[in-house]
Amino acid sequence: MKDAPAPRFTLTLGHLYPDQLNLYGDRGNILTLRRRCELRGIELRVVGLGIGDALAPDEYDMLFIGGGQDKEQAPVAQDLYEIKGIGLWAAIEDDMPVLAVCGGYQLLAHYYRPASGPDMRGLGVFDAWTIHKGAHVPRCIGDVAISWNGSTLVGFENHGGRTYLGTAKPLGKVLKGYGNNAEDHTEGAVYRNAYGTYMHGSLLPKNPHFADFLIALAFKRSYGRTDRAAENLDQSMDQYNGSMPAAHRTKASKRPSKSRSRSQQGIADDPVTFLPPLEDTLEWEAHAALLERMGLYSAAVDALCRYREVGTVLHLPNSSPALK
Amino acid sequence: MSKQKPPRPKQGDVRKRRKNRGTDTIQPVADLQTTSSQHLTKRRRSSIRAGLAVMGGRTAGALSRRLHLGGGTSIAGLVAQRLYPDIVGHLSKQLAHGSILVTGTNGKTTTSGFIAAILSDAGLRVWRNREGSNLMRGVAGALVIRARPNGNLRRAGQAVSIFEVDEAVMPQAVRTIPPRVAVFTNLFRDQLDRYGEVDSVSARWRQAVSLLPGNTALILNADDPATAQLGEFFPGKVMYYGIDDPSLDLAAQGLPAERHQAIDTRTCPHCGGEYIYSLRYYSHLGHYRCSKCQRTRPEADVRAVKVITDGIDRLRMQVETATQQGEIVIPLAGFYNIYNALAAIAASQALGIAWDPIVSGIEQFKPAFGRGERVQIEGRTLRLLLAKNPTGFNEVLRTLFNNGTFRHLLLVLNDNVADGRDISWIWDVDFERIVRHTATLTVAGTRALDLALRLKYTGIEQQDMTIVSSAPLRAAKSVKRSKAHSARQRRRVSTAGAARGTQLIATGEGGVINQAPTRGYGIANALDSAIRGTPVGETLFVVPTYTGLLEIHHELERRGLTPHYWEEKGP
Repeated sequence: MKDAPAPRFTLTLGHLYPDQLNLYGDRGNILTLRRRCELRGIELRVVGLGIGDALAPDEYDMLFIGGGQDKEQAPVAQDLYEIKGIGLWAAIEDDMPVLAVCGGYQLLAHYYRPASGPDMRGLGVFDAWTIHKGAHVPRCIGDVAISWNGSTLVGFENHGGRTYLGTAKPLGKVLKGYGNNAEDHTEGAVYRNAYGTYMHGSLLPKNPHFADFLIALAFKRSYGRTDRAAENLDQSMDQYNGSMPAAHRTKASKRPSKSRSRSQQGIADDPVTFLPPLEDTLEWEAHAALLERMGLYSAAVDALCRYREVGTVLHLPNSSPALK
Repeated sequence: MSKQKPPRPKQGDVRKRRKNRGTDTIQPVADLQTTSSQHLTKRRRSSIRAGLAVMGGRTAGALSRRLHLGGGTSIAGLVAQRLYPDIVGHLSKQLAHGSILVTGTNGKTTTSGFIAAILSDAGLRVWRNREGSNLMRGVAGALVIRARPNGNLRRAGQAVSIFEVDEAVMPQAVRTIPPRVAVFTNLFRDQLDRYGEVDSVSARWRQAVSLLPGNTALILNADDPATAQLGEFFPGKVMYYGIDDPSLDLAAQGLPAERHQAIDTRTCPHCGGEYIYSLRYYSHLGHYRCSKCQRTRPEADVRAVKVITDGIDRLRMQVETATQQGEIVIPLAGFYNIYNALAAIAASQALGIAWDPIVSGIEQFKPAFGRGERVQIEGRTLRLLLAKNPTGFNEVLRTLFNNGTFRHLLLVLNDNVADGRDISWIWDVDFERIVRHTATLTVAGTRALDLALRLKYTGIEQQDMTIVSSAPLRAAKSVKRSKAHSARQRRRVSTAGAARGTQLIATGEGGVINQAPTRGYGIANALDSAIRGTPVGETLFVVPTYTGLLEIHHELERRGLTPHYWEEKGP
């Protein structure tokens, strides 16, 4: 692609089970993250983590798990629990952004009970569980739109299992479609920076604000603060390293390039400086077109207006939309 | 070829009434001597019902055609089935040479086209559900429009029917029409929204195979583990076809990008072990063996040992079977057509057809509906290449972009029910191949914006493609109308001259939103725009999904360019 600036930063995305959980065009999510990083001078390295590979949380800035078929999900569930579980838990408790779609989402909850066969034990990151009620219960299939952070997310869902949330916070409220279980109008689940959702289609290309949100989370976590309150921290590397949690410290020391770029350029006090807005007309038109096809006309107008006025809004937790 | 006498069916329950089949015209009443008088009345009653169903169906079909609602074949079948649910069974029993069922994700139409060409070269009268409706109602319709009002088929004596059957309705089809030959081409992900998952199709196929009469010949693709494994569930005659040409291996061609390609069957159904490939042609097709239980690809009975691509629209292959070998030229492009031709050869050999009609049938084959057919329009050549799932799409792109030639391309992405409502599969298509290789690129359909977005993330600039949605974005209009202040804001930022300002200007001037009124919408405009972009004498390649293809056909018909496909005369 032309005019992508030379990369100044590096983020590493761990793609869990790319060979087993790849059913629903999840490549689109990876392509979107990579390109949106690239245009901001961030190189996104994608590392595939297959069955049997260990997950060392220090080596990644972001994780992605896609969806697969029931048959392929069983060995994955076992591997996730027995081999990657500890690393994944550590990463999530350390606020690493994780996006889990469909099958991946189900495996991050307590368990998945298939229509036939034994339960698959999940990691229990989300306090939720999934039950497939058998072939006679129709699958949840169709376009879906949810409200999220004052805007909308659109996608396509196709799942046999119904997910019920315990104490887990949902990702959003269903505006149209089935969501977690077609009953309580919730969609997805959130724990710290881990996001589980049934939306594919692919999710991120048509929801550039969510893609940027995940990138910002990863960038903030790995390269320091994104809010002005932490600005002073940048002045001394030693002081900064001293204030970081252990995991961050090892990371910084393991990656001299990151520390260097941080001290040289004094970045990341404002998300706009490291995630400048992109030309997203096509993204938002696709987003609005899908809303319109679902009959959510005013939501479509809202989405286009918002883009017209402020571009792709960068949501960050505990901060107002950054581009206001 | 000499008339192939069908093997005498067993005196089984389902096929009982077929036992008097012969090469002469048969009436269902012909074997009355052996049946009781109750049976007679029952038979008569069913005959009357069938007659009613035929008349009802044909009336509905004629009406629908007259009202330009469509080809009228499906509706004829639907109505006839409503009037007499067993109409398919009733009519298909009268076929002297029985039926051939073809199913699979890709290649059903072309495979049955090859078989039809071969059989008609062999002197048989071939009936097909050629209009592409491959649900049971399409099968019913194909029979009903050839039936007399008395419930009998016209000229059933020489007839053999070839039905392409939707993957999901295969068990139902096998139950209603016990076939002489059943062909399973391949299994890929397709319309996940309709079928659920690939595995559930697999389960239905196993059920279908268990329902096959023992004298059916089962034709399976040896290179696709998902179809080849079906042979283990069938005690009767199984013939495998496959490719034995190591030079076609993906690794040998140096295409590392294909690793990411949609691979839909990875694990052995018996033990869950991953397949290991010594040769991989595309997706999960190749020479495989299970890493755990060591099950391997079956030896192919009909095999292509050497394949040479001969220009854009011909393939030359060296074929070996148990009894014959020789070169056959396939007048179609696309690697998958090798499999389609091999499947047809295997099916024909299972029916005892001689070699000559096999060769001539394939070599003189005319492309089926949307499978590479050619239309001349305003001095340009239009070629229609249906692509309805990631594997099919990848193969089309591989054919078009394998030698660095720049192509004029019109892509049509629809998400109607017949296409599959889910379009996430476009992200699994290797569009990277076409970057900087398109002379012009037009994107159309109900989900044109999604496809444009896919291409954008592949690295194609938005200004290098023309986007013609099927309908305007209504929201964009009211954004323009109601937002006077946003115009003010735009002026303000533009004077500020910041990077953000230029971006907003770009949105205002260059985006689809403002160009919309001049560009137009719908398939006719898309076609016009793409044709205008193609210089006279050059070829425009149209790659639509299924309903996109129907729309293109309809539009071409409106311009008087193709025959109405449902009026096409059978061979």
